[in-house]
Amino acid sequence: MAIIKPEMKSFIWLQTPDELIQQVEEEVAMFCPMICREVLRSGMGSSKNFAIKLPEQVTPPILGLILDYCRFHQVPGRSNKERKTFDEKFIRLDSNKLCELISAADSLKLRPLVDLTASALARMIEGKTAEQIRETFHIVDDLTEEEKLEPLKIRTNDPRVRLLNRLYARKRKELKARKNLKNVEVEEERVDDRSVDDLLLFINSGNEDSKGVKPTKNKKKNRRRKNNLKEPSSDIKNGNHKKETGSLSSSHNSEIEDCVSPSKLLKMLGSDFDFPEDDFDDDLDPALMEELDREVEEFARRLNSVWPERVQGIIPFGQSRSIASVSRN
Amino acid sequence: MHTELPSEEDYISDLPQSIVETILTKLPLRDAVRTSILSSKWRYKWAALTQLEFDDKCVSGTYDRTLAETNLVNFVTRFLFLHDGPIHRFSLSTAYLQSSPDVDQWLLFLSRKDVKDLVLELGEGEWFRAPSCLFAFKKLVRLELVRCELDPPLSFKGFLNLKHLNLQQVLIAPDTVENLISSCTLLESLTLSYFDSLELTIRAPNLKYLILEGEFKDICLENTPMLVAISVAMYMTDDIAEHFGQSSSCNFDKFLGGVPSLQRLIGHIYFTKYMSIGNTLRKTPTPYRQLKVIELYQVSFEDMKEIMVVLRLILNAPNLQELQISGSSNSSSASEAPDLDFWEKECPRDCTFERLKMVKMTDMSGVPHEMGFIKLLLGNSPVLEIMSITPSVYVTEGRLNLLIELLRFRRASAEAELIFVQDQV
Repeated sequence: MAIIKPEMKSFIWLQTPDELIQQVEEEVAMFCPMICREVLRSGMGSSKNFAIKLPEQVTPPILGLILDYCRFHQVPGRSNKERKTFDEKFIRLDSNKLCELISAADSLKLRPLVDLTASALARMIEGKTAEQIRETFHIVDDLTEEEKLEPLKIRTNDPRVRLLNRLYARKRKELKARKNLKNVEVEEERVDDRSVDDLLLFINSGNEDSKGVKPTKNKKKNRRRKNNLKEPSSDIKNGNHKKETGSLSSSHNSEIEDCVSPSKLLKMLGSDFDFPEDDFDDDLDPALMEELDREVEEFARRLNSVWPERVQGIIPFGQSRSIASVSRN
Repeated sequence: MHTELPSEEDYISDLPQSIVETILTKLPLRDAVRTSILSSKWRYKWAALTQLEFDDKCVSGTYDRTLAETNLVNFVTRFLFLHDGPIHRFSLSTAYLQSSPDVDQWLLFLSRKDVKDLVLELGEGEWFRAPSCLFAFKKLVRLELVRCELDPPLSFKGFLNLKHLNLQQVLIAPDTVENLISSCTLLESLTLSYFDSLELTIRAPNLKYLILEGEFKDICLENTPMLVAISVAMYMTDDIAEHFGQSSSCNFDKFLGGVPSLQRLIGHIYFTKYMSIGNTLRKTPTPYRQLKVIELYQVSFEDMKEIMVVLRLILNAPNLQELQISGSSNSSSASEAPDLDFWEKECPRDCTFERLKMVKMTDMSGVPHEMGFIKLLLGNSPVLEIMSITPSVYVTEGRLNLLIELLRFRRASAEAELIFVQDQV
């Protein structure tokens, strides 16, 4: 590092949300893209009166941490090993500190630090039980036992979820996200094309061997539902029951309906009938599991149980795929 | 500075979705989905993920292959069904699941989601035949396919946004793959692995990185002016060897004739042999001014033609900095090598490798041509820093002689270190 006379070294003035102003060495502060941009764009930060206002997530203690990080990493001569060792020590913080840190680093657009902190947080989640995770992060368990056993509902009509999705998309500068929303509405008009496509798909791919019945797109289910009678198909469902998991004995009809609750998803798939909202729940067998993969199997079974009669409607005799199988060494 | 007691509040649940996504993306997908039972706020955080990576670890380990397959299919279907929001990356890598109508349906679903990055690697056995909806992924920027069959519909005009294409063990007609490459006008990186007997002409005006591996009969880089790095590994079959014998064109010109921006060239196995067909030592019209690194493996120093390829390369790369060559010669035929007087008589004396700093020769058997080549390099590289020689493991007794001969060679660079690597790790 060149020897710089004190009066020649530049400083940048920063103001934390608590109105306190401090000065930071230029090369350290400029390591943060957001600060860098502010300086270049508006010329702020050059003096005490024109201090750069930092986002509210950057409290003084967190700012101190971030500056430590920047001070170390902005030095060009360091080896990868040195940087890695520093990072590993740096990230040894408690979970809430890490949350504050990631939030602040994100607001300053300091991507490497965001990634580093995210990895640390992910390590605290991976492989742990729900209880352990709740304890680490002080999460209050406000799901009732029943809610945990419920299959997850499609809640795309939740405005909060939608808003979050949109904000997120904009944040990533995805103009396409808006096109997505437009496309979703456009797709309602393409119902006819899609049914032909799907038919062709099914005909081409066929319905082969004994791998078990395949779950289908919910769209198919929507179309056929009106025509299906529940009674005749229940035998098939029971038959499949024994074939597959054989352990669950909940009622089928209502469960199938609540999985296709009215939503944007339905509209997107071009269905034009509404399902009754109140068909929601649920007399799940309380002996049922808590783990999500068990829910998956149950859901699949439900899907599978509706498959056979539909297949018979589309493909008369079940065609098999004709693909030359090639063996590779 | 006082140390604060860590607060007992729940900070993580209120982080913005973009940050939560960054965290959840670093988890295996299964763990990400499990967060849904943490609390009511967490119920659907996972469902907005935009980078999805499915693999066999998503479902619990089981030795029953059919069960594993069913579980995986159920998991993916259920996941996609409950997912909400755009999907930018979809990757499926499985050894269990082979071709199946489910995959077709997933692709149909995904084709409406403006996916930009698609990776599909299915199991061995019956190869997956890509449905036509795969060609409707308009926003695709990166595509990687392993073990599948591609047959684009006639109306397919190319992936107009595709920058990275990686096809491995893909069944596709030769002109189809050529059309595919040339129709993706923004293509920057192309990887083709394990293709059989392919005759390929590549026209890709923006292509920068090219990786080829397999049995290629013929490769012609017709329109690739922006190529920066090439790596080729060529395997040989009898069929191809016969084709080589009958070929009359100059492979060197066809392959390296139009790559002025080339910086790095790597050739494995039979690459030098392929390049030697029809080759002469004449100067290339435009020298490779950007070429800095050349790595050629399994060069047979008994074949004069292969040596000519190497010479032609280094003589036309004035800014070459690094050279790595591994030999594949048989030392027993040392004394009968033809053209032994080439190095004395025909080799250009006035060539200077002005920038050459590092040379690494491995699997050296000590055959005369190898020695001649090393002597040439040592004598004409004024800024050489390292000349590293590693004898072949099959050479056990001749090592001392090899070393003695090496020591005698004149060195143009006073800084040159001659490193003789005794034990290969």
